Amino acid sequence: MATGVDQAAGMSLIVFSLMLFTYYSIWVIVLPFMDSDHVLHMYFLPREYSVILPGIAAVVLLLCIGAFTAIVLWKNQKTKKVN
Amino acid sequence: MTKLMEWLFGVSVVLAAWVLVAFDPLDLSVPHTYREVALPMPLYLLVSFGCYSLATVGYRVATFNDCKEAAEELRDQIKEAKEDLRRKGLKI
Repeated sequence: MATGVDQAAGMSLIVFSLMLFTYYSIWVIVLPFMDSDHVLHMYFLPREYSVILPGIAAVVLLLCIGAFTAIVLWKNQKTKKVN
Repeated sequence: MTKLMEWLFGVSVVLAAWVLVAFDPLDLSVPHTYREVALPMPLYLLVSFGCYSLATVGYRVATFNDCKEAAEELRDQIKEAKEDLRRKGLKI
């Protein structure tokens, strides 16, 4: 078994993904079958956000990957010019 | 039938079922709640696949055994590779 930080990081990843999956499943699948005055609706945003938020997350992910690539390429270009 | 044809067939069957329930093109008067649940299905499957990948990565990180010798060897190899690349001109 891995030790210390590795185990903590792994467990936190698992717990986070489980929580995300449960919340998103209830949001998308369970809520439409509940009456609109059920108390569960208080804990969830309006359903349009269940499409918008993953879209924003995907855009942010792509931006991070693009920024990282750009930074590495730029640094490489700069040092090539100096040489 | 090749594997590609099998996969395409399966995918198109699932796609047809989803379009039928979510968009009601044949006006079969699908109940409104079923339409509301079926509409975000592709996005939902994508999100759940992402969660599954994240959980698998987390599980493998948590259960991976430490191997000291391999870590030493890897560190040396990384140093060697960096030197080699630096000689060839790539700056990291």
